[in-house]
Amino acid sequence: MYLDIWQLLTGLVHWLMVNIIGAILGWIGFHGVEHWLGTPGVLNFVTIIVVGLVVFIVGMLVSITLIWQERKELGRLMDRRGTQVGPIGLFQNFADALKVLVKEHIVPEAADSMVYNVAPVIIIGVSLMMMVTIPYSPGFYMSNSQLSVLLTLALFGVVPFAVLLGGWASNNKYTLIGGMRAAAQIIAYEVPLLLSVVGVVILAGSLNFFDIVAWQQSHVWLVLPMIIGAIVFTISMIAELERVPFDLPEAEAELVEGWGTEYGGMRFGLIMMSEYARGFIGSSMITLLFLGGWDMPAFLNFIPDGIWFLAKVFIVFGIIIWIRGALPRVRTDQILNLGWRRLLPLAVVNIAIAIAFKTLGWF
Amino acid sequence: MAESKKTNRQKELGLTGFIFRPMWLTLKQTLKSSRHRPNTVQYPWEKLVLPDVYRGRPGLRFEKCIGCGICMRMCPTRCIDLLEVDDIKHEEGKPPAKVKRPRVNVGRCMMCGYCAEYCPTDAMIVTPEYELASYTREEMIYDPYKLQFAGVPGNEVHILEVLPSELKKDVPPRPHVKNVDLPVVEDKKCIGCSRCAKDCPVEAVKMVEVGVNEKGRPIKRPVFDKEKCVSCETCVEVCPKSALTLQEVQ
Repeated sequence: MYLDIWQLLTGLVHWLMVNIIGAILGWIGFHGVEHWLGTPGVLNFVTIIVVGLVVFIVGMLVSITLIWQERKELGRLMDRRGTQVGPIGLFQNFADALKVLVKEHIVPEAADSMVYNVAPVIIIGVSLMMMVTIPYSPGFYMSNSQLSVLLTLALFGVVPFAVLLGGWASNNKYTLIGGMRAAAQIIAYEVPLLLSVVGVVILAGSLNFFDIVAWQQSHVWLVLPMIIGAIVFTISMIAELERVPFDLPEAEAELVEGWGTEYGGMRFGLIMMSEYARGFIGSSMITLLFLGGWDMPAFLNFIPDGIWFLAKVFIVFGIIIWIRGALPRVRTDQILNLGWRRLLPLAVVNIAIAIAFKTLGWF
Repeated sequence: MAESKKTNRQKELGLTGFIFRPMWLTLKQTLKSSRHRPNTVQYPWEKLVLPDVYRGRPGLRFEKCIGCGICMRMCPTRCIDLLEVDDIKHEEGKPPAKVKRPRVNVGRCMMCGYCAEYCPTDAMIVTPEYELASYTREEMIYDPYKLQFAGVPGNEVHILEVLPSELKKDVPPRPHVKNVDLPVVEDKKCIGCSRCAKDCPVEAVKMVEVGVNEKGRPIKRPVFDKEKCVSCETCVEVCPKSALTLQEVQ
């Protein structure tokens, strides 16, 4: 059971543009504009923008909820209460957003002003762009590209580059160390991350999220045959999201605020926000690739697909928060050690298992 | 080589120590704090139950105080001074008597409770009041009337002593031995002016005639009552010729 927003919004836009605005314009006498509004090109364009807006708003709301979830769950892990403003602390993030919104924007005197200002734009833009590829249910998506998995992973890879840029442009030793660490870290986790997806792609035979979920619906959730790949992918994804225990670029105990030390005000707020947006994308990738996406047991069919998918995302993110609460941060050499000597061989073993399953014809 | 490898193994915590045990511990903690309430006390709405001997601001029992000034001298931050005020109890029609009572600058007080510990009559007590913020510094200075606090029997604090040799024998701590110091008069300096006898808060000083001088006038010397004396040092301070010193008396 799912809602097809493309169908819904196409109808809605057609009704608005032709039956309401077009009718009014025709009544006034602008018959040319009325015809132009009714052409399929204009209707398509407006529909795409409206759908994009809806997906963007939903993604942002889910990201804000993830921030709330993190603060609440970390509170429970540490035997305290977490956020308090509003019912069960839900309004705290909005209060914080209001607070950072009224702050002054300061560019350090010695900073490279252009790069300093461009780096957060790249980070925030890339993080929000990734929401385009993620489907919530068969009907709730922005784009249905044949290479959506690859596109998402490629966009993920852009962020450390912008982190390095921002850290270098701030002209501060802490930010520079943070940026360099981000560059060192990407070497460690990017290869196992991509290799662990290869197993999934071999079994499902596609790079499209819809096809992968459809394969899992007809066969089995990929976490069962690809358990090694799922673990490797989760660990690499935590490193990709720069969260504890792999938050080397933002090591609060060592580097003040890491690469973002010099960023304040709404830039800081949006960078923080985009971190959780990426957290949402990462959790939903784990859900889509390994946990069956919106797949569900048949007797629970009355729950909508989108709800089912979001519930899985929240559980996955909850586990990531749990890991954050439990584990200490690793050193730079340790993460390189882990990436190259443990995760890379495991990812290769995972590919071998996938090839074996495929050639034997079990799945 | 083999040995160095072995020690390296032991240094590294491995999967169990580095991942599984912390995860298990935090999971247990989460379940526990989800079942019960978290440890946080939501302060303005909830408050902790304080013990009777909680050392908040000092309080005064006006009637018990004798105005000896031990609290003033003992205070580490010098936030107490003695003030001459009207006595609370006085007969109808008569003007109230002037008595000395401590005044505390709570803004400077560090809540150590020494004044209550050393008070010889338990007039100074500790109170569970700790919300002392005010808008002006003048409000922080508590005069003797404002300092009054009824208190419960547990509010007095005493110095308890236990000897190192008694630690393992379950001997209960006993109160600090009082009146270990007595003023001693230096005979050459004393002029027999009786200021000490006049100012003593517990009337422990008696002037005794010890002889006659050349002009035939009696020579007076102070004698200290060991039972009554509270070692408050008032006589030492008021002595015009510095003839008195406090000394430990066995």
